[in-house]
Amino acid sequence: MHRFLRLSVLLIGLFVATGSHAAETAPALTTADDLGPQVEQPIEFPHDRHAGDASKGGMQINCMYCHTYARRSASSGIPPLQKCIGCHQNIESVKDKPRIKKLFEYWEAKKPVPWKKVHDLPDYVRFSHERHVQRFVFQQGRPVQEACGYCHGDVKNMTVARRSKPLSMGWCADCHQKDHPVDGAAAAKTAKGPNDCWQCHK
Amino acid sequence: MIENGMNRRDFLKVLGWGGAAVALTGCGNTSVEDGKELITSYVEATDYMIPSIGVYFNSTCAQCDAGCGIMGRVREGRVLKLEGNADSVINHGKMCALGQAGVQAHYNPDRVRDPLLRSGSKGEAITWEKALGLINEKLGGAKGDEIAFLTGGMSGHTKALLGNYLEALGGAKHYAYDVTAPAVVRAANKKAYGVEMPHLRLDKAKAIVSFGADFLGAWVSPVHFSQQYARFRKGENGQRGVLVQVESKMTLTGANADRWLAVRPGTEGVLALGVINALGAAGLYLSEDVKSLVKDYAPERVSKETGAPAEQIGKLAALLKERSPSLAIAGSAVEGYAHGSQIAAAVALLNQVLGNVGKTIEAPANVPFQQLAPAATGRAALVALNDALAAGKVKVLFTYGANPVYSASSAMKFKDNMKKAAFKVAFAHYLDETALEADLVLPLDSALEDWGTFVPAYAGDVAQLGVQQPLMEKLHANTRGAGDILLALLKQKEADKYKGFEDYYAYLRTAVVQNKAALGGAGADDDTFWGETLSKGLVKFGAAGGSLSGKVSAADVALPAAAAADAQFPLTLIPYVTPNQRDGRHANQPWLQEAPDPLTTVVWDSWVEIHPKKAAELGIVEGDIVEVTSKHGSIKAQAYVFPGIHPEAVSVPMGYGHEAMGRYAKDVGANVLSILDPVADKVTGETALNETRVKIAKAGKRVIVVKEEGAAGGKQMGKKIAVRVSTDKVDLSEEV
Repeated sequence: MHRFLRLSVLLIGLFVATGSHAAETAPALTTADDLGPQVEQPIEFPHDRHAGDASKGGMQINCMYCHTYARRSASSGIPPLQKCIGCHQNIESVKDKPRIKKLFEYWEAKKPVPWKKVHDLPDYVRFSHERHVQRFVFQQGRPVQEACGYCHGDVKNMTVARRSKPLSMGWCADCHQKDHPVDGAAAAKTAKGPNDCWQCHK
Repeated sequence: MIENGMNRRDFLKVLGWGGAAVALTGCGNTSVEDGKELITSYVEATDYMIPSIGVYFNSTCAQCDAGCGIMGRVREGRVLKLEGNADSVINHGKMCALGQAGVQAHYNPDRVRDPLLRSGSKGEAITWEKALGLINEKLGGAKGDEIAFLTGGMSGHTKALLGNYLEALGGAKHYAYDVTAPAVVRAANKKAYGVEMPHLRLDKAKAIVSFGADFLGAWVSPVHFSQQYARFRKGENGQRGVLVQVESKMTLTGANADRWLAVRPGTEGVLALGVINALGAAGLYLSEDVKSLVKDYAPERVSKETGAPAEQIGKLAALLKERSPSLAIAGSAVEGYAHGSQIAAAVALLNQVLGNVGKTIEAPANVPFQQLAPAATGRAALVALNDALAAGKVKVLFTYGANPVYSASSAMKFKDNMKKAAFKVAFAHYLDETALEADLVLPLDSALEDWGTFVPAYAGDVAQLGVQQPLMEKLHANTRGAGDILLALLKQKEADKYKGFEDYYAYLRTAVVQNKAALGGAGADDDTFWGETLSKGLVKFGAAGGSLSGKVSAADVALPAAAAADAQFPLTLIPYVTPNQRDGRHANQPWLQEAPDPLTTVVWDSWVEIHPKKAAELGIVEGDIVEVTSKHGSIKAQAYVFPGIHPEAVSVPMGYGHEAMGRYAKDVGANVLSILDPVADKVTGETALNETRVKIAKAGKRVIVVKEEGAAGGKQMGKKIAVRVSTDKVDLSEEV
């Protein structure tokens, strides 16, 4: 009899433990096409000013000029501070602006800017930027802003980036079921995105 | 160990329910942290630094003294995994489990992070300036010979710097101590071959007989020997080498042997002489003095004394005679007994009779800079230090890379004697048993953060200087490298001489670059040479040595008569050096606790190996908690009934039973070293590890042994995968 007692005590303990655990964690991802949280960054980086259309006062800089790792690696990383300074040390007109002043403060202290992650995926998902940029930009020749925008939204009209796509599995799979044909030798292979679990879940 | 109260079915039930409950709420790591987590961000990045792509940097493994070359995969500024450096002559790109766990030494949560000064029973964090000043002040009141420096294995420029420091202190004494050091083997080799560690050509031998040398598991340079062993097994002309292992407790090497000969503890020398006798009988030439030495060692007598079947002695002799060159290796049997030096001499004589010297036993490569060569570690050093401490001759004691409060036998009363030193400084990674007794604890950089050089304990045919370099930024701001501390201490004494070196890195660079001609960089530009050295992580230097000198004669071998049976303590205790734990310095690396012992597959605990016959006689079954009692104390551990041990011996692994050191080491298992009898080898004075006599008794409790496998010699899941045949039924000549 005392064996059952012991078992129930263990089980109750376990439910209590998981219950309290559930209360602490964030709610699960939704599949709704909603916006992610507004993220406060150390410097309010104006994507619109850098990448936006010329007609709206933007400089139309290619995304990959700063986000140089996206086409080379699974992780897009964040541009090193030296990239910002490389241009801004020669742009006298904005040097006194508070954001640029702050930028140079980091540079002089040789401290990296503590940027916060805006697009996070669960730890069990392995997304490769390289694979997607190679297919859509270099093999299909799509405009860079369009290709990046599939997942990142209309960044060129944002200041600080904000998640605008759900980045859920259903949303990913939806696109993977479509054909994305390319010319040449690779065309013989399937033009759909991979459908195997292990491609993303390793 | 799982207490028997809850059975496996209950356990599974709970797991099943638990799994369902967790799935409802999601596991802890699934949460998406938009806007919370920071992105790894650089100020300046070089071309090869790409997020999520690993870059490899070469360094040298510091987990044991073998000095394997390693490379660390570094991603986003953090070292993630270690691999072997293919360029290294020691490990040729391979690595062992101990080395793999090096990252856990680095990221260990129990590392000491600040200099700590004793204040009552607590350690108070102080600044480095204060710590170093305090050392200088305390050293002022001590003469040179009142200062002692106890270290583990040391080599390279850190050792050279330590030598300079001891000299600057006016002749302070260096005690190099390592429980597992092959100290008696080295002394015996020096006598027999003229060198401490000859180059053993396992790859050239056609048959090997090893007297307890666990060269595949934990002996001297296991990764190196494993590769040689692979070539030995493949053999030239398709002839596969035959390995015979003679020992009382099965090691990993014994388990791999073609024949495992269990002998009564301490009779390995008798068997060696018996084989020489049988070789003579089979027609091999023996000189007159050898003949007269071995004439009494006829197979019947040898069989009676050693317990090995008489026909096996003849078979072994026939094998060695037929397969020339062969190789006899003296291993832990030699470290184990008061007549260890005699066993080693008998093994050397066997090699000499077989004509192996010069064929499979060659001169090692020369290390041109003797101050860099590995310090001769041993157990006698601790005895000498303990005597000096007991006599009150030591005022200031430094410890670095050694944990004597844990590893000394309780018979030595080391902890009490250590208190007699007025000021004790511990260089420490963890607050281990010795650091807890110190007055001042200096926190060290991990091996993956520090600079250094290593000369491997076993050289082989090419000498190599392994370079250790930081693989990532320091994790804790206030730790320092051992070299940096020594340099700072030297500056207190000889400021002028060392003022040119800002830190240990500067010293190391200068020392290596100055000698670039001898290190194979003649004519190269300094920066190029240094850059290449760091990039390769090692420098090869020194040519192969000449021929071997020295000779062992029959007069050197004088085996004592078999010890009389001890009624009170009937069993021999064999402290076992496991490939994972060694002397216990890595006990706080959980991978090594979790990785099963290769023979018993036990994890996270000590065990007592008992032969099934002995266990039946004492009514012991697997999982019984047994008390192992020697003259100097007792320990309790779970019984493991194991056919790979002589019935007159029990074996307990070293390295467990820490009282401090960290969360993964503390209170796991029992410390076998604490109950050893302080018996020394008669020639070298090195503590003999297997001379402890014990009795065992059930302590009343029974546990489930947590291990990977079923019962030893079990049913193989009902399938006859491998047929069990007793060793005396096997005819090796038909098999190999």
